[in-house]
Amino acid sequence: MSVPGVKLVTIGERLLVDNDRVAARNHRRLSEAGVLTVNIMAAPGAGKTSFIVRTLEALRGRARAGVIEGDIAGSIDAETVLAAGAHGAVQINTGGNCHLEADMVERALHDLDLDGLDVLFVENVGNLVCPTQWALGEHVKLCLVGAAEGDDKPVKYPPMFAASDAIVLNKTDLIDLVDFDRAFFTSSVRALNPAAPIFDVSCRSGAGIPVWADWLLAQRQGVSGRDSARLGMAPIGGT
Amino acid sequence: MAAFLLERVEHHAGRLEASKVTAINLLVGERSCLGDDALRFSFDLLTAGTVAEGARITIRRTPMRFHCPTCDGAYVPAEADFACPSCLTIGQVTDDGGEMLIESVEIER
Ligand SMILES: Nc1nc2c(ncn2[C@@H]2O[C@H](COP(=O)(O)OP(=O)(O)OP(=O)(O)O)[C@@H](O)[C@H]2O)c(=O)[nH]1
Ligand SMILES: [Mg+2]
Ligand SMILES: [Zn+2]
Repeated sequence: MSVPGVKLVTIGERLLVDNDRVAARNHRRLSEAGVLTVNIMAAPGAGKTSFIVRTLEALRGRARAGVIEGDIAGSIDAETVLAAGAHGAVQINTGGNCHLEADMVERALHDLDLDGLDVLFVENVGNLVCPTQWALGEHVKLCLVGAAEGDDKPVKYPPMFAASDAIVLNKTDLIDLVDFDRAFFTSSVRALNPAAPIFDVSCRSGAGIPVWADWLLAQRQGVSGRDSARLGMAPIGGT
Repeated sequence: MAAFLLERVEHHAGRLEASKVTAINLLVGERSCLGDDALRFSFDLLTAGTVAEGARITIRRTPMRFHCPTCDGAYVPAEADFACPSCLTIGQVTDDGGEMLIESVEIER
């Protein structure tokens, strides 16, 4: 049966299929524990940590949230979110890697008390390209853009906007200062992603954070596992 | 990335009872984070002594694609926006250019 010589064999599989497998394992574990997990992807300095801090404030008394902080080095962001009331924070240093991978998150999950959490934020490494390809096991892929970065980010980094379940436009307090064309931004996002909600927020003033926080808590209804009724949250938009 | 590629290639080589992998054909979207030279460089370093040593990597770069509802056809947008070049309608993406696939491998038994 074995023929000498070269043979071309069709494979047709995703290059990162091994990462996908670990991500699926994380996803199961998080779902069983009833922990709604959000993968926050953005450019450096877009306001990821500020956004997590604002959201923690909005969730206080309504849900217990943990944070996984991904950074190339350092632990400042983990200290910041703990000070802001996170129920546990784990710092992952990627050692030069420009994105988090599923096995890094798997190890970090060992250091969190999942049964004591309702929500988990994962702050990915600041980068608008690479994190898109690496599933971590999240329920919500979130892409955050700061207005100061420009209204052309969807045009320049399409896969991230196409893959996201929620899009956050931060630093809306700067929109007029930086000539951010909101209509152009929206139409570009919609060309890539017709359905994902777009939340306008300012982490400086706190504007828009309550609407986002309500949406987030409503998403938790979809995560199986523990009874989410004890959160005492009102789902928005009916069932 | 090269390590992930080698793992998959070794897996398929074993499954196909290959003695040698001579070529690897990848399909990579033009907006993905995979750089041709960086991948080849790290892959060459990693494959010494493995079944994939010396394998030639071919990377087929695919552009983003959109569908225009007005012209009812596919288009590749220009750089500055997502408008259809014929009618300026902003269509819907059909390929976001982020794909990274192993299309095929060439093996010796
Ligand atoms: N004006 C304004 N500044 C903001 C807003 N949100 C964040 N900033 C500022 O932007 C800077 C970066 O914010 P961070 O939250 O550290 O951003 P990050 O994305 O976590 O940054 P890295 O983790 O370093 O990639 C800080 O100086 C924040 O005070 C906002 O809504 N408006
Ligand atoms: Mg940060
Ligand atoms: Zn057209």
